[in-house]
Amino acid sequence: MYAPPIQRLITELGKLPGVGARTAQRLAMHILRASPQDAAALAEAIREVKERIGLCEVCFNFADEPRCRICADERRDAGVICVVEEAGDVIPVERTHEFRGRYHVLGGALSPIDGVDPGDLKIGELYRRVSDPAEPIREVVLATNSTTTGEATALHIADTLRERSPDVVVTRLASGLPVGGDLEYADEVTLGKAFAGRRRL
Amino acid sequence: MFATRLRLRDFRSYERTDVALGAGLTVVHGSNGAGKTNLLEALYFGCTGRSCRTSNEREVVRFDAATTRVEVDLRDADGRAHELAVGFTPGDAKRLQADGVLVDRLVDVEMRPLVCVFMPDRLELVKGPPALRRSHIDHVIAASWPARSATRRSYGRALAQRNALLAGIRSGRSSRDSLPAWDAELARHGIALRDDRAAAIELLAPRFSTLAGALGLGAGAELRYRPRSRAADAQQLAAELAQRTDSDLDRGFTGHGPHRDDLALLRDGRELRSYGSQGEQRLALLALLLAEREALAEARSTVPLMLLDDVMSELDPDRRAMLAELLRGAGQSVVTTTDLAHVPGAAGAGVTRLAVAGGAVLQDAAAAA
Ligand SMILES: Nc1ncnc2c1ncn2[C@@H]1O[C@H](COP(=O)(O)OP(=O)(O)OP(=O)(O)O)[C@@H](O)[C@H]1O
Ligand SMILES: [Mg+2]
Ligand SMILES: [Zn+2]
Repeated sequence: MYAPPIQRLITELGKLPGVGARTAQRLAMHILRASPQDAAALAEAIREVKERIGLCEVCFNFADEPRCRICADERRDAGVICVVEEAGDVIPVERTHEFRGRYHVLGGALSPIDGVDPGDLKIGELYRRVSDPAEPIREVVLATNSTTTGEATALHIADTLRERSPDVVVTRLASGLPVGGDLEYADEVTLGKAFAGRRRL
Repeated sequence: MFATRLRLRDFRSYERTDVALGAGLTVVHGSNGAGKTNLLEALYFGCTGRSCRTSNEREVVRFDAATTRVEVDLRDADGRAHELAVGFTPGDAKRLQADGVLVDRLVDVEMRPLVCVFMPDRLELVKGPPALRRSHIDHVIAASWPARSATRRSYGRALAQRNALLAGIRSGRSSRDSLPAWDAELARHGIALRDDRAAAIELLAPRFSTLAGALGLGAGAELRYRPRSRAADAQQLAAELAQRTDSDLDRGFTGHGPHRDDLALLRDGRELRSYGSQGEQRLALLALLLAEREALAEARSTVPLMLLDDVMSELDPDRRAMLAELLRGAGQSVVTTTDLAHVPGAAGAGVTRLAVAGGAVLQDAAAAA
């Protein structure tokens, strides 16, 4: 129906989350109508983000240097780690201003159905961080989503930390997050309250 | 909340029909193949957006027609009128409307009437495997306490994950490291599900015994929950799961937990599914459905609409009279029968009679009132 380059653009846009076939077409038409400068700026932004942004060597958050801004920030409390599933979950937690520690991004949640085992997540890296004597950790806050996979991930990490690092306090966000809810979609007030009322596991 | 009118277009054998329903008992009568069950199915379709008869829903569209539409007029407890409408063209998403507003699912619509259905093939609920009774009781839970409907889904997800992990461990792909976490997660939802089921059955059991008695099943009829686990809490259930890890690994799936529960229908301590006669099993199912109607009426403060297809056949005259009396007693119900004389009291005042023939409803004059 479309010339091959247009079809390819529609196919690529359609891979974006929340973009169906129709929206992909609309976006493609918009890009076709746009000025060459605007279209080039979009292409350049995509290229640059992939080239310049990597993962933080400490916490696996997005970073444009070896360490992300939060790990590089000396004012943050290095003794508390907030564990989240995805890098995208850091932003909503930051927005609550309840948390002044650092993060650890797992890169997903345990899901045997999808073949995701502990070894496929940055869980080993978390244990190493927690037991590193150079930077003693007092508390690990498990802020994985309140879905089945998020809960199992939190339980698994809590169990292991209790064994390996019994002195570290492990907490879980207070319930109050919608059941089955993603951190990403929780509003600031709810998430802030969940943080303030976190309970010990 | 009750249904006042039903309008059909190209539904099963009906081309166009508009019928008034009674606030109490409505009897649909006509010969075999006249379209009685079709009318009942249409009412269910209009209230829920689904068929109670087939999973292949394109069957409900009249032969040679492309689209069917069912509209149900309702009146709530305050006397206000509402309307539900379902438009369906096979291959397309259904168009579901509540008071003219498009909705994704009718089950989410606050004002929709709850519906209990008796169809002869539902006797499987009494006779068939436990899975049917589990999913039935879970539907009752979801209808009584809509917020708890998530429990069964969460349990199902956790169970599928644990089974996938067992398969992974068996094949050497996965380690056992995360199994305790999945045991704990499964147990958390499992205990919640078991408690919900226990609560639902506690509501139903006394009503079931009373109604079964009133339907002539004797004094010893009993509804009993048979949970697989008697664990006191989630921790204990997780421990039970852990104890069975080896046999689970042998089998390749989780053998313990509420997905193995059963609901027993008993008379004098014996299973009706094994020892009950046809008529007794039918009465037990009716007692269960009527018990649900009462329990739902209490939990949701609206009496569910009862749809009873061909319920009188196989019942003796005394039991027919008992059932007809229960149905005339409270709430709205629609009963089909080939013979009006099989519904004792059908000729009386307060009963709406709909004669059906050749895919058309010949409304009884008295019914229009
Ligand atoms: N999609 C359809 N389009 C047209 N006619 C249909 C359709 N589906 C079923 N029918 C017809 O509807 C008739 C059956 O109607 P229905 O099942 O309501 O009968 P009934 O009155 O309940 O009979 P019984 O007393 O035997 O149960 C059949 O003759 C069948 O051919
Ligand atoms: Mg029939
Ligand atoms: Zn970092």
